[in-house]
Amino acid sequence: MAGLVSSRGCHKIRGSQIRELLDSKLNVLFDCDGVIWNGETVVAGAPEVVTLLKQQGKKVFFITNNCTRPRASYVTKFIRLGFTDVAEEEIFSSAYCSAAYLRDVAKLQGKVYVIGCQGVVKELREAGVPIVEEDTNAPTGTIYDYPLDPEVKAVLVGYDEKFDFIKLAKACCYLQNTECLFLATDPDPWHPLRGGRITPGSGSLTAAVETASSRKATVIGKPSCFMFECIASQFNLDPGQSLMVGDRLETDILFGANCGLDTMLTLTGVSTLEEAHGYKDSDDPERKDFVPDYVVETIADFIEAYEEEEG
Amino acid sequence: MAVSKCTRLNGPLIKQMLDSVDSVLFDCDGVIWRGDQAIPGAPDVINLLKKNGKKVFFVTNNSTKTRKMYADKMALMGFNATEDEVFGTAYCSAMYLKHVSRLQGKVYLIGSNAMRQELEKVGIQQTGVGPDPISGVQIDWANVPLDPEVKAVVVGFDEHFSYMKLNRALQYLNNPDCLLVGTNTDTRLPLEGGKAVPGTGCILKAVETAAQRQAQTVGKPNHFMYDCVASQFGLDRTRCLMVGDRLDTDILLGSNCGLKTLLTLTGVSTVADAEAHQESGCPKRLGMVPDYYVESIAELLPALQG
Repeated sequence: MAGLVSSRGCHKIRGSQIRELLDSKLNVLFDCDGVIWNGETVVAGAPEVVTLLKQQGKKVFFITNNCTRPRASYVTKFIRLGFTDVAEEEIFSSAYCSAAYLRDVAKLQGKVYVIGCQGVVKELREAGVPIVEEDTNAPTGTIYDYPLDPEVKAVLVGYDEKFDFIKLAKACCYLQNTECLFLATDPDPWHPLRGGRITPGSGSLTAAVETASSRKATVIGKPSCFMFECIASQFNLDPGQSLMVGDRLETDILFGANCGLDTMLTLTGVSTLEEAHGYKDSDDPERKDFVPDYVVETIADFIEAYEEEEG
Repeated sequence: MAVSKCTRLNGPLIKQMLDSVDSVLFDCDGVIWRGDQAIPGAPDVINLLKKNGKKVFFVTNNSTKTRKMYADKMALMGFNATEDEVFGTAYCSAMYLKHVSRLQGKVYLIGSNAMRQELEKVGIQQTGVGPDPISGVQIDWANVPLDPEVKAVVVGFDEHFSYMKLNRALQYLNNPDCLLVGTNTDTRLPLEGGKAVPGTGCILKAVETAAQRQAQTVGKPNHFMYDCVASQFGLDRTRCLMVGDRLDTDILLGSNCGLKTLLTLTGVSTVADAEAHQESGCPKRLGMVPDYYVESIAELLPALQG
């Protein structure tokens, strides 16, 4: 099998190499956490990079598994952190894409039972997808006895800080009907916070529901391709002319590989160069899709790539 | 040499089989009761086995009751059983932590009051039992105060399971020296009245996924529960029968420990399930094929009464 070894090279690049790569691409897709910001702290130079790429005529998109905010709230965050020209249409979160999937792909006729935070609920409402409205003031029942809505045709699991046993039990009941769809916003087992701390992610909640129902969720977020299909359907993107830039090998880089994009790992977030090389050196053929084509220390390196040319 | 398996137990074979064992281990849910209803004939079976000089034990993955609570339930239902004959995972997890993990420190517990009681009985303090609703914002959750004496996260059935509990468990498990122990992996918990809710397996899966590591499981099919019984009562495994309704827990435990195994059809698994494992030829699945099966343990009565 030696001749079939992956060509994904894990090449650390800077300067003119970055310039050459970017010149060959029309579209750049950025993950957010760990790439353009970390929590409430911008990655130095990120706003300038976005402006620069747009000046060069590139289309720029932001593609994040983080479903805790609706798109309008992301726009506010972009502005707050110094990005001057990011439009709502360029932001694709797993919450937005889950709503789009239910409305446009599944063409859901019925309601969604949502296990999710306000970020998820708002995107569903914005998309006009009917959800089970729970009156938070009314008693929700006990784990043995709770009301079910007969119009539920889908269950969506996302990040939910109010997740509890009753929600798990209800979701499991709805999913006993094999015609009820089962979606998850994203598979991330944990989310990084400031200072290297982590908090449980949507993936851990989805795992509980999958175990209870003996069913597998359809995952909308990276590394599944749906979010790329969502962008491509609105903006007519050619994967061959698109670059995915991310910080998590198992999410962003695998996503890029799955969708046929070139991939770039930036080292300002979760994954390390050692981990990338670990996947590269692995004998397991499935691991090759975790290996990025390119690696940069930070996306701010794009700036000097263009400055060098002008020098 | 092919060993005959999955044999319908009837006629003279019943007495023959019973004469070949001194001890019988029974699962509870789906075997001797369903919820709070005894399987018809089950109390007589247990009581007659004892009268006939057999040792009888109860081995259940259910972590919601202490040994005393089980003994009380059994007394109400007409079973002649004592506290020390009952091995539930609340008790066995405490034993595991005390004697196998040799835990020096506290436990962060996602579990029931029963688990808390069994832990306290062996001198292990816990923190975390009961409701734990979310408050504050994300960064607060990563900074929840951690009790420095906690050396293990223990997960059992918990109707108060919440994101906050999952979060606390994750923060403790950030320390690679912190143990992760689960009572069992059953995906459903059978309830009084015949209903079922998501089981401990779901809660444990959430914790394992967030922490990206596997728990040590105490309950069936892990051999620990058999070891617990055997070490206290000096059992001869060659003269021991495991009776259960689930192939992947009860029967597999029996196979793993070299016991004879009897499947009863009053619970979860079917004969078709057993035959599918048998025909698979897969070594891992063969352990789930019982030696014998009956429709209900009540079928043992004629041989016991005779």
